[in-house]
Amino acid sequence: MLLQQLVNGLMLGSTYSLIAIGYALIFGVLGLVHLAHGEVFMMGALIGLQIVLWMKAGPVVALVGALLGTAVLGVLIELIAFRPIRARNGPIFAPMVSTIGVGLILQEVATKAFGGEQVGFPHRLEPVTWRLGPVTISSVQLLILGTSLVLMLALHLWVTRTRMGMAMRASAESTLTARLLGISTDRVILVTFAVASALAGAAGVLVGLSFNAISPFMGIDMGVKGLAIMLLGGLGNIYGAMVGGLLLGAIEVLSVAYLASSYRDAFVFGVMILILLFRPQGLFGVGRVDR
Amino acid sequence: MVPCRLKLFALAALTLTLLGGLGSADPASAQVKIGVLMPLSGKGASYGAHQQVAIKMFQDKGEALKLVIYDTRGENTDAINLTRKLIGSDHVVAIVGPLFSGESEVSFPVAVQGKTPIITPTSAKPGIAAANRPWAFRNALTSDKLDGALVDRWLAANPGIKKVVILVDTKDAVSKSDGSIVLPAALKERGIAILDSISFQTGDIDYSAQVTKAKSWNPDGLVVAALYNEGANVVRELRKQGLAQPIVAGLGIMDPRFIELAGPAAEGVMTVNDFWTDNPDPAVAKWVAEYKQRSPTPPSNAAALMYDTLDIVRACAEKSGLSGKPDDLEKDRERMRDCLAKVKDYKAPVTGNTTFNGEGDALRQPVVLVVRKGKFESVR
Repeated sequence: MLLQQLVNGLMLGSTYSLIAIGYALIFGVLGLVHLAHGEVFMMGALIGLQIVLWMKAGPVVALVGALLGTAVLGVLIELIAFRPIRARNGPIFAPMVSTIGVGLILQEVATKAFGGEQVGFPHRLEPVTWRLGPVTISSVQLLILGTSLVLMLALHLWVTRTRMGMAMRASAESTLTARLLGISTDRVILVTFAVASALAGAAGVLVGLSFNAISPFMGIDMGVKGLAIMLLGGLGNIYGAMVGGLLLGAIEVLSVAYLASSYRDAFVFGVMILILLFRPQGLFGVGRVDR
Repeated sequence: MVPCRLKLFALAALTLTLLGGLGSADPASAQVKIGVLMPLSGKGASYGAHQQVAIKMFQDKGEALKLVIYDTRGENTDAINLTRKLIGSDHVVAIVGPLFSGESEVSFPVAVQGKTPIITPTSAKPGIAAANRPWAFRNALTSDKLDGALVDRWLAANPGIKKVVILVDTKDAVSKSDGSIVLPAALKERGIAILDSISFQTGDIDYSAQVTKAKSWNPDGLVVAALYNEGANVVRELRKQGLAQPIVAGLGIMDPRFIELAGPAAEGVMTVNDFWTDNPDPAVAKWVAEYKQRSPTPPSNAAALMYDTLDIVRACAEKSGLSGKPDDLEKDRERMRDCLAKVKDYKAPVTGNTTFNGEGDALRQPVVLVVRKGKFESVR
């Protein structure tokens, strides 16, 4: 049973990772928390679902559509809710508050457009399952794991090997210095939003596919968890977010398996507090806050 | 300026009251004001949407009742506040609702305090009406009146079952009582061993850990106590992880959305209720046909019970000659209560012969149902 539970935890955790990475990317560049990120994740699931329903497409098309759709959404959020406030030198927390507004608007719009009911992907996408000894793995689980790993690897290569990635890291180090060196930080921020939101959108489709529970309110809990994972991994550290997500997924599943599910979240956040007590900078943070 | 405005306001209010008083003084147009509480959004919105269709059908049949409808979002705090509002500021004669046992548990005492009859069409957790005599009623069979028959049929259909695992939603009041008290008692009485009771919570999305745990016990049968959303996803996950054992579920899953969400995994799941869509009884069939003309989905029991509850309230309002005047409010409320307490063998339009027992709970014939080819069917 332990092995299967670890597989369960890995699946749940990899979707957490995708969401947490988005938080980490945006925090890295802006030093701000994007509080509508959970709603971007929710929109990803809804976009994917609509693509499947209207175009009779398969999960891969839905995934790509959600990636693109949420990337555009992320860019819009930056242009509408972040940039104007930054340009007017508003107080440091003002953009964060405006993202709370964005999140609520997205929730209400989704409720009006698609109803407040929980819905799932059509049953023709029902996964195939394989039994490998004591462990059962389904095609959706492989898709989740594969997509998450590919996206994380692509992100790693993009951040470390491309000029844009380098510009992003420079902006994260110091926006002012980066700008002095001739980097268009506004463009970097825009790209960061697109990438971060696309990852959340992908996570939305993956969660929708595997757990069949898509609703306008699915982003609330996931948003909080993603945020917590980012903190656990080390503020703004994308590798911390990757590992933190997997870790939290495993802890959560094991707490259900060996303790009681009623304490699921209490246990998860308890462990998180404990880790932060001993390592306030987070698992992968360096002495000072690493951005 | 301020006092002047206040005076104007007072004058306007006085005029309104006078007009209102004059309006209802005419006996022919006297309507009895009834409050309705149901979830139109949030948890259980599907139940609420069904009830809304039923209410519309009821209203189109006649205008004996003036309904004041509020959305509780399935939340206990909303249910309390809205109950208070209906009693204190809307001055309703009686309240129909709320839908969930959790909500009923907290709003019944408010109604008792406000000396206003309250009748839930659906809440099924045992003992809630009994604790709030003499004002609280339920037009629903409590789960202890349903689960015995359900377990009997389930075991008869699957004689090999000796040990089971229970999966229970501990956040929802009726599922919790069903899954941790009523169903276990019914199972133990029939000599079935309960290997484990595994919990989850309303709103959870990932059930893989619970299902893997259930699988490790290697049970002969599975018992699910949940509402339709969570129930559907639990059943789906059970089948996905390769558990092919027979499943029996508490009455919370009884909604067409359960089958929609669970899809093929719903096949063979057994549950119990006092209403089902494909009941061949002509009165029920006619009602269902009429319902289907107004709604893309077939009716659920929440809709049928809402319709019948309104009908019972209407019958009582007529029989006890309620005046509907604001001055008679207290007397009207008492008369309504006395009439509800005496409901016996009342021919409810959809669910049939209904009697309220001394605890305020309905007595009716339950039906055991099984999902076959994407539909609930009665087990014969």
